[in-house]
Amino acid sequence: MLSRMKKTMLTAATGMTLCAALALGVGTAQADPNISGKKVIFVPISMGISLTEGWLRRMKEHAAIYGYSIDVRDAAFNTGAMSELLAKAISDKPDVLVVHNPTVQLLARQIKQAESQGIKVLQLNLQSNQPSTAFVGANWTRIGTEIAEDIVKECGAGSGKSGKVSIIPGQLTAADSVMMNEAAFKVFAKHPEIKVVSNQASDWEPEKARQITATVLQQNPDLCAIFGHWDVHTMGAGKAVKEAHLEDKVIVYATGGGDDATCQAVEDKILDRVWSYDADGQGRDAGTMIDVLLQGGAAADHTMLKIESPMKIIKLGPTYNRNLCWKM
Amino acid sequence: MAEALHQGKGTRRNGSLLEYVVIGVTVAAIILFSIFVNGFATLGNLRVVASNSAALMILSCGMGVVVISRGLDLSLIAAMVAGATTFGVLISAGYSGPLAIGLTLITAIIVGAVNGILIAYLEISAMLATLASAMVFTGFFRFFVLRGEYLLMLPKTNPAVMLFSTDLLPGLATPVALMIITFVVSWLLLRYTTPGRITYAIGDNFQAARLTGLSVRPTTVMIYVFAALTALLAGLITSSASGAVDFRTVTNGSLLFEVILVVVLGGIPLRGGRGGMRNILVGVALIAVLRNGMTLFDFSSQTQDVLKGLVLVVAIVTDNYFNPRDTETDTVGDL
Repeated sequence: MLSRMKKTMLTAATGMTLCAALALGVGTAQADPNISGKKVIFVPISMGISLTEGWLRRMKEHAAIYGYSIDVRDAAFNTGAMSELLAKAISDKPDVLVVHNPTVQLLARQIKQAESQGIKVLQLNLQSNQPSTAFVGANWTRIGTEIAEDIVKECGAGSGKSGKVSIIPGQLTAADSVMMNEAAFKVFAKHPEIKVVSNQASDWEPEKARQITATVLQQNPDLCAIFGHWDVHTMGAGKAVKEAHLEDKVIVYATGGGDDATCQAVEDKILDRVWSYDADGQGRDAGTMIDVLLQGGAAADHTMLKIESPMKIIKLGPTYNRNLCWKM
Repeated sequence: MAEALHQGKGTRRNGSLLEYVVIGVTVAAIILFSIFVNGFATLGNLRVVASNSAALMILSCGMGVVVISRGLDLSLIAAMVAGATTFGVLISAGYSGPLAIGLTLITAIIVGAVNGILIAYLEISAMLATLASAMVFTGFFRFFVLRGEYLLMLPKTNPAVMLFSTDLLPGLATPVALMIITFVVSWLLLRYTTPGRITYAIGDNFQAARLTGLSVRPTTVMIYVFAALTALLAGLITSSASGAVDFRTVTNGSLLFEVILVVVLGGIPLRGGRGGMRNILVGVALIAVLRNGMTLFDFSSQTQDVLKGLVLVVAIVTDNYFNPRDTETDTVGDL
């Protein structure tokens, strides 16, 4: 009787385990579980844009493999709320904090505070003045330099063009805008034939970029190039160029995460050349970096661990391929 | 009451000088920019000024009518993005242009009616009701319609999208044509229709208008529905022009600031009952000229905001100096 009961219980337990395994998906075998149960908090400038959604998708894949948690605190483009969310995140004592800095200064003090409390801070794509354990993202100086050099090639001496350039940063104090502008102006300083006729921030809004560009084109119909600091808002500028029927004369440069909308814009001739830092790849890099940090990884000399995102240049021509862009 | 109804014909009993001060500042700005900014005084630039201020003018017509009724619609930009979102989602889902516009119109009417009912029947103050509804509309459309997305890219080759962003006639852009139509319709409604006359009466003295037997509550609902329809039109123009519906237009608040600035600078007092579409034209002219000139001067957007704020302060101080408050103008509930 007892043995029959034991047998029934064993069968039931096996069945339940199998059901649970099936429900969880037996295919995702877990790696070394010594970091399972750890806590990661991600504080982005805003969810709901392909960049951050793309990052989170890949980071979650890594979390599922190792069994740690990722909690998102969405600041929804509200910098005031972002400081509060970060303060709350620090008080929740995660093992790793992933921060997406809107400006170089805004979260610097809190990043320092988190690090002093033993929380490893991974800065994602936009860097603060305050160094932390790790950074994953684009090399903005490199992008600024490369785009500026390309502009010089297209609009500078010997090109027969006006040399007039309009720059549209997101915000003048945003980390990427600060670094790209610094790098670009360094290049332009060596080429006096390049004239920056406008350098006005769009607050990341396509409509503002469109209005600025429509106005600038009136004053400078011989504009040679536009350098937009984010592909999304630069699409507004590209629309203004198209409306003015100048798409064959003005080259629209941008940089961005390179999702499918970017390739569509390039095909529609709204954008001409996009330096993509491939947000999808960045998401995977960030996931890998979190895995390493949770396993105790850190730079030997206590400097920042850094992973620089490889660039893809998206432009029409023989090298163009829709697969250069990624899809959610 | 008869006096209030009579006064509503775009005239101001107190002879407020703000409107004239603003006209003076606008003319001075035009002269200065024409002298110092290369490319300002050209026909092409005039077209850009008109096209760039189309959405602002349309929104200001809606807000102007609301303010004349001594109301305030802080949900105007949220309604604008809500309308554009509905349109964008339907177009992206493959609905035909007319059907998408029709369904979007219904959405705008619902949005406006919600505001109107909260204010007219539940008697919540306009400022608080529209502040709350702005949050509800933004949250609902962002999380339940766009499923958390912040940006919705519109299919740029769709005929309905192209209709709002291209020329209606040679040399006349659709946004500019819609701006002129909205302006004329708003003027006609305010001046020649019964609800228009009641709007002035409500703004002048709500209780007196009600006691006289005027249909103040249905008219209030109509006013907010009208405002939501102007918001929808502005949303369609803006999103089609830039190719994207962008929720940051709501969250950063600068457009709402500009709309209120236009109404106040134009000379429509926030205590209601006065002013007309002429005032909106004056206010939009100043903001559009300043924005265009400052962009040509290559001023940063932050500097532009500072200067616009300064202009507002200077205009109001000047108006107060020439037209000081007295017991007659200092009405209860004045903002």
